[in-house]
Amino acid sequence: MKKIAIALAVALAAGGAYAQEKTVKIAGFGAKSGVVRSFGINSEAALIAAADVINKQGGVKLADGSKAKIAVEFYDDRCTAEEGISIIRRIYGTDAVVAVGPTCSNVAEPLYGILQKKVDDKGDSGLQMPVFTDVAIKVGLARISEWAFRNVPNETTMYSSLFYWLKTKYPGVQSVYGGVEEDFAHSRASWYAVMKDRAEANGYKVIGNSKWLLNDTNFSTQVREMKNANADIVAISAHPFTTCGVLKEMQRQGVKPKVLVGLTSSSSLETLQGCAKQAEGIIIPTSFAPVTKEGKAAAETTAKFKGAADLHSMAAWENMFILKQVMEAERISGDKNQLQADRRKIRDGLAKLKETQGLLGVTRRTADREADKPYLFVQARGGNWVVLHNPL
Amino acid sequence: MLDFLQTLSDGVLFGATYALIGIGFTLVFGVMHKLNLSYGAASVGGAYCGLMIVKALLGTTPAWLVFLGALLGGGVLGWIVYVLCFHFIPLSNPLAPLMSTMGMLLLIDEVIVHLTAGMPQNYPAVFDDVMLRFGEFTLRGDLLVVFAVAVLCMIGLLALLYRTRLGLATRAVAQHAVAAELCGIRVARVNATTFVVTGLLGGIAGALIGASVGALSPLLTTPLTVKGLIVTVIGGLGSIPGAIVAGLLVGGFENVFQQFRGVTERDMYVMLLLFAFLVFRPGGLFPAKS
Repeated sequence: MKKIAIALAVALAAGGAYAQEKTVKIAGFGAKSGVVRSFGINSEAALIAAADVINKQGGVKLADGSKAKIAVEFYDDRCTAEEGISIIRRIYGTDAVVAVGPTCSNVAEPLYGILQKKVDDKGDSGLQMPVFTDVAIKVGLARISEWAFRNVPNETTMYSSLFYWLKTKYPGVQSVYGGVEEDFAHSRASWYAVMKDRAEANGYKVIGNSKWLLNDTNFSTQVREMKNANADIVAISAHPFTTCGVLKEMQRQGVKPKVLVGLTSSSSLETLQGCAKQAEGIIIPTSFAPVTKEGKAAAETTAKFKGAADLHSMAAWENMFILKQVMEAERISGDKNQLQADRRKIRDGLAKLKETQGLLGVTRRTADREADKPYLFVQARGGNWVVLHNPL
Repeated sequence: MLDFLQTLSDGVLFGATYALIGIGFTLVFGVMHKLNLSYGAASVGGAYCGLMIVKALLGTTPAWLVFLGALLGGGVLGWIVYVLCFHFIPLSNPLAPLMSTMGMLLLIDEVIVHLTAGMPQNYPAVFDDVMLRFGEFTLRGDLLVVFAVAVLCMIGLLALLYRTRLGLATRAVAQHAVAAELCGIRVARVNATTFVVTGLLGGIAGALIGASVGALSPLLTTPLTVKGLIVTVIGGLGSIPGAIVAGLLVGGFENVFQQFRGVTERDMYVMLLLFAFLVFRPGGLFPAKS
């Protein structure tokens, strides 16, 4: 009888402790289907891995001094705007205090559009939900809403630095020819608003560009135009599938520029899996490579959750630690009855940040809620990405 | 002028890949008078099967084994498509197989995406390094192989249709399924065989397209389906030589318009070509004999 009483007491105590364990929900969302599925898988793995590390360290400290574990729920937006908007509305209806995502810029742009533009604007019925983006990289999007924040690299700074470095490294190189995936928001913006502009600003002569579409399979005409232009630098602003198609066609037609530059998002496993041989020598600026102790540890932990570490997934990892810091600094309650107040505290906390600690070093936060992340230049060599230069 | 000729010849040669897909579409339509919308996806799926199985078993990807795997994978997928989308579906309702094959297209696409995380897979090339040069004018060796295979497939299929008992049965089913059944032909078996044959052909097509592009990606399925359908309509529904001629025509046409009007307008003109055929020559280049 005594034994039963003790067992009951232990069970009740354990049950009580279990009931008291608090959780703070963070919603992740991104593309987990379609051709950019790998981005969503990697972001999800990085978010869960980071949350696991935080939870093992005790979790997040709440306003009342108690600790809460982080629970991650990840949604698939299929890289489509309508699905992304539907998902952010769904997340808004849950007890998630913040959302991390999306993958695609064509989702981020309209999605930010349904958030409240200015905080405290009573006339604006937009969603009051903090969104902390890890992947969608098209320049200048966070200014759409004061609830939107991004931890993505600043392509303008990176390509400015890259072309400046190329100028000193290859003094004889003078002309640039572009190749652009015309129907993809990020690739298009990256060529016209970033690469082309930054090349000209650094004294290069941009002698033209060829265009293709995301689904294209035949690049003979575009590469012939490239060949006729005979530029010193060829800059390809496209995602891995067409980047590989173009590189293979360049090999066929014998187009060998002195320098080959690629799009930030192509510094991934996908490019090497699709065309490592043809991509040999391509130079890409990126905001992540496992060169620091923290970076290596993050990559290893993410791998345990079946995710690959790249500039996008590691931004998701960083986001989780930034959010922990903000939630603790802003003393969120973790109480579901105070959900909207907690969301607001997180928004305000993110807006206050002047700098954050990233895996490559300190990231400066800008007034328009964007990040100025440390970066380096990587080059494809022997089927791997190797660090070519660290400009910082 | 040379630039124009080069653009045209590049397009025509690449059109051979459209022709291969078009042949499969047209063969199924010729026999069953139904469109198999999943054919392009199943062809790419066959190529994926070959690549992934050979890679998993051997760790390397010798081209001939990968192609053989694609051939067999395409055949198996063809049979699966028949069973799931046609055999148990009421064929009297023309919308039923159309919708079931559309569903199969999306299913195959998503299975590929889930197995590969959407990552492009390097595909072994054949004669990729061969470039026939006539001064400045060049012809891609690998696309010449695709063209030759398309012609061989056409000859092989015509021989199968007009020189074998299976072909006789197939033509009988195509003309009048009920009459064929009354004559003792097992219609379901003939239909299944047609799907396996087109599946084998699709496997070859998927492999050759993968080899000519140099990579496999789920991004291939939708454009191949659209181009395959256009080629089938322009060539004449049910006409195998028509599919080849139309494939080359569409390939050349789109490349020329890409050069003169740009990549963003290119597909618009291909669609206009399709509309022109539908209005002025609805039977296509080689209309079926009534």
